[in-house]
Amino acid sequence: MPATAADSVVWRMPPMDMSMPMMPGLEDALPPVPPALPDQQAMGIPAARPSAVVPLADGDTLQLEATLVRRQIGDRTFVMYGYNQQYPGPLLRVTRGSTVVVVFRNELEDPTTVHWHGLRLANRFDGVAGLTQAPVAQGESFTYEVYFPDTGIYWYHPHMREDMQQDLGLYGNMLVQPDQDHYYGAVNAEETLLLDDLLLDVHGLLPWGDASPTHALMGRFGNVMLTNGVTDYQLSVPRGAVVRFFLTNVANARTFNVTFGGARIKVLASDVSRYEREVFVESIPIAPAERYVVDVYFEEPGTVAITNAIQAINHFRGEFYPHVDTLGMVTITDEAADPDYGEAFRVPRAYADVTAEVDMLREHFDRPPDKELALTVRVQNLPVPIMMAMEIDTLYVPPMEWNDAMPMMNWLSTGSQVTWIMRDVDTGKENMDIRWEFALGDIVKVRIFNDPKSFHPMNHPVHVHGQRFLVVAMDGVPNRNLVWKDTAVLPVGSTMDLLIEMSNPGDWMAHCHIAEHLSAGMMLGFTVHGADTRP
Amino acid sequence: MVGLAISLLLLGSAPPAICTAPPDYYQITLVPTRRVPTARLARGTARLTYADSPFGIAVSARGHYRYNVEVVVENLRPVPGGEFVAWMATPDLKQAVRMGPVTDNVRGRTEWNKFLVFITLEPLSQPPAARWQGPVVMRGLSRSGLMHTMAGHGPYEQEPCAVYGYY
Ligand SMILES: [Cu+2]
Repeated sequence: MPATAADSVVWRMPPMDMSMPMMPGLEDALPPVPPALPDQQAMGIPAARPSAVVPLADGDTLQLEATLVRRQIGDRTFVMYGYNQQYPGPLLRVTRGSTVVVVFRNELEDPTTVHWHGLRLANRFDGVAGLTQAPVAQGESFTYEVYFPDTGIYWYHPHMREDMQQDLGLYGNMLVQPDQDHYYGAVNAEETLLLDDLLLDVHGLLPWGDASPTHALMGRFGNVMLTNGVTDYQLSVPRGAVVRFFLTNVANARTFNVTFGGARIKVLASDVSRYEREVFVESIPIAPAERYVVDVYFEEPGTVAITNAIQAINHFRGEFYPHVDTLGMVTITDEAADPDYGEAFRVPRAYADVTAEVDMLREHFDRPPDKELALTVRVQNLPVPIMMAMEIDTLYVPPMEWNDAMPMMNWLSTGSQVTWIMRDVDTGKENMDIRWEFALGDIVKVRIFNDPKSFHPMNHPVHVHGQRFLVVAMDGVPNRNLVWKDTAVLPVGSTMDLLIEMSNPGDWMAHCHIAEHLSAGMMLGFTVHGADTRP
Repeated sequence: MVGLAISLLLLGSAPPAICTAPPDYYQITLVPTRRVPTARLARGTARLTYADSPFGIAVSARGHYRYNVEVVVENLRPVPGGEFVAWMATPDLKQAVRMGPVTDNVRGRTEWNKFLVFITLEPLSQPPAARWQGPVVMRGLSRSGLMHTMAGHGPYEQEPCAVYGYY
């Protein structure tokens, strides 16, 4: 039993769109797992503080602790989880090439681990329960050696029951500074933005599933947006400022489409590297676990909203409708930014060193794939009305689920009824029955097809542990501006070709980063054979 | 024969040896209307791929998917004095875009949520117009256009459509 008061917690229906009638036959339905929630009446729980920046030099040690914390969400207070009593967890600021020691201690009743997302570190420190380490029980510790081989923005989170532990606040960023000058262009300020959502109703946090997650179909979408753990993120910048934002999506399931109120956005980098060329964009679609580094030019004084702007779907009416969530506010003061980087902002830079690195793999771009995966889903024992609704709904499945348009049906589905599947097309093996074997230095082309003709197709952010990859083609269209990634989103019906550089030996996992899909099976294993020669 | 070529959907000069098709699921089948006798055996498709984007998926600042649309037609036999022109329009026809004559593969871009792709027979003698004048020869609807209300269907069979403005 995790840190819950399951005896006193009862299921409540998730908040619903009241313009849509309740689906007949589901009025009294409940998910077939007990509800779980941290004890909201627990005494002596410390109030969480905002995230602190922790500069760490090579060889430094950080103590990291997971505990219960009291969190203020809007004008309400909840008992949630936190790293070092902070929201988000401490921001580790390090330099590329360094290694730090993290002594992690778990004070939660739930067993947990820490996964260092995107880092090509030694396999035994990858934090995957059951694969690279045993779960860390309450009162126990685990010492991680965390190596930072690549510049950029990374994040850490549990690799057990992410749907609940991460959602309750266990996440933090790692900002890896370049070890060379002029790596990016000059800017006036830097900000890290961790984007999240939380599902609340009038009574508070909607309980999670105890033994297995609810919301297994689409993942748990929140209805309250959190930026850096708060509902009212604010930033003040001088007029003409160029601000660099390091964005990380830590939500269970939601893909955000981030805009900066019409301010010009230039995208420089993603998960593990810069792009070959910087590109101007109107918005940043960012799927769970992805990161983007963007420069934003706040030219005119005033106030602009950072938003999530989407075309949501009302399945009952069969219509799209525009929907906007406010993620934060930026005030641009009258005072002029000094220095003025406006001119430099207007000129997108090209990164020849990225292209040179990509060029070494270009011979592999067009060859047949080494491995092919099909993504699909199997369901059993779902309530009949849900099966009927899905049947008429599958006339059109959107490429991406931007909103939870069927909160009741989604909530009722658990890991015991839904199995999300990665199927090896050649062998027919599925999920953890897949154990691919590679040698260190292999360049492996993996073609992944997101089958639209399953019971409930959905977009999947595919994450590969311990390695980096290029998305060389999407739907047969070659990608002309490459970037090293560790997570890439595959829309429904689409096919993407990944070129994975097997640069890090060990037993690794690749999986969907929608927390509930992962819990519902959507993962595979692979081994990279070879000696670990890292420093 | 006009526009009989099936193109590779690849941009640039050096197509890869191995390529996958665009997502079949969102392809739009163009169906002849039988209003033009020479077009009765025509077959066609509007293929959608995501517009160029650093994010894999391509969406606008308001969250619309951005698609490249390519119309590929077979067996559309020419009509003297006329030309076949491809169009895209919103389902209510309030907004329409002329994609161009179907002499080769016609390409366009859209970010409408639901849309029609259709081919009309236009008089050759006149300059290109903003709206079509001739008969619709072939037509198709985006997959998103198939999404309709659940009122009166499946588990909502008892739900009166009229309450929600459907008849
Ligand atoms: Cu998934």
